[in-house]
Amino acid sequence: MEKKELPDLQMDGVNTAAGGKYNKVNINGVSKINGALSAHTYKCDGVMKMNGDLAAEEIEINGNFRLKGDLQAGVMKLNGVLTGDGSLRGESCELDGMLKLKGNCEVEEMIGQGVFTIGGLLSAGRIEFGLNGLAEAGEIGVESLIIRKTGSAAWGRLLGGIIPKFKLELRAKLIEGDYIDLEYTAADVVRGGTVIIGEGCTIGRVEYRTGLTVHPGARVEKEEKHGA
Amino acid sequence: MEEELISKKDLLDETGISYGQLYRWKRKQLIPEEWFIRKSTFTGQETFFPRERILGRVQHILQKKDDLSLDELAGKLSEPLSQHQVILTVAQLRERNIVSDSSLERFGRPDSEGMLLTFEQILNLFAVDLLLSKGELNLEEADRLYLTLGTHTPGFAGRNWELFFVRKMGVSFYLMALSGAELAFDEGVRVVSRLSLADLTEQLKVRLIS
Repeated sequence: MEKKELPDLQMDGVNTAAGGKYNKVNINGVSKINGALSAHTYKCDGVMKMNGDLAAEEIEINGNFRLKGDLQAGVMKLNGVLTGDGSLRGESCELDGMLKLKGNCEVEEMIGQGVFTIGGLLSAGRIEFGLNGLAEAGEIGVESLIIRKTGSAAWGRLLGGIIPKFKLELRAKLIEGDYIDLEYTAADVVRGGTVIIGEGCTIGRVEYRTGLTVHPGARVEKEEKHGA
Repeated sequence: MEEELISKKDLLDETGISYGQLYRWKRKQLIPEEWFIRKSTFTGQETFFPRERILGRVQHILQKKDDLSLDELAGKLSEPLSQHQVILTVAQLRERNIVSDSSLERFGRPDSEGMLLTFEQILNLFAVDLLLSKGELNLEEADRLYLTLGTHTPGFAGRNWELFFVRKMGVSFYLMALSGAELAFDEGVRVVSRLSLADLTEQLKVRLIS
């Protein structure tokens, strides 16, 4: 690889830059990038606005990030808020904060806590997520999904102040996966191999293949067993 | 006429794959986005797939995934343009068992083993071979099919076509139309076979890269 030959981009303070191809991008402060950007590593602290696609093998974002295009990431670490108009595709996503996407989110691994709002499909090999508030996804399709309630973290209190009746819940129309372990989830349909419906769930219909466990504090309207 | 569809649930039952595998393959772009067809049913929104194509693709992935990593496989499957420039010789077609010997003898001019065929030519041969091996054509009809395909596929200029092979009172003929066209026949007509470019390409592609 000729990564060495690509230039680095370093910005501090209030700045605007064009997109392009870089090796290392390091941004601090309030900045704006007009155009698509690809880089080997991308690190951003502060407030960033991007009008275009972003692609990088390593992405670390601390702060508030607003993205107009699609996001392609190898390994991504997000502390803060990411709002995107497009989709996210990548290997892994470590999240502590808020991820808002209008499109799909397709990664191999998603681990973290906070909230997410995915307009389309949330698909991953493994999702382990602690809820701090109201999370939403159109559809979820996974190999394994574990949703937990992460109690009164600073996040919950902070957001709770902003939105008065802040409900701690995951909402999705459809959840499909081989192993599904849920808490505080509202879904129309849950389909899977092994399904565990924990406390605080409201599920319209559960279809399972190998096993189903329902917590007494959960509400499931219909259960169906499928396959062998 | 619409392509036959299979629901996601039936697909999993029929092939024995899991939700996880299906979604993983989707993420790896082994299954094209357009194949996920959303439809409303009485139980809400469901996902359907074009039956023939998805079943072929799943079998293919299952066979190949031990030899190749999913990424390699995705690379091979998602290169439609380069596939269209595939050029093979008659001898290669025979060797790789893409088109049967008997069809090759009839259409492939066995005297020119080294003759190069373009993807379109291979596709036409493949289509004829497919119907012949199903026993739906006789040889004279196969000749005519080969001719029909050869003359009319260029006119579709890359758009999806469908080919209907119909028979009425023992008289057979071919009809080519743009994919998705609604055709109505009179009562005595029997549609013997129906081929679509998309299905053929899919099947041929799988054979070519295996």
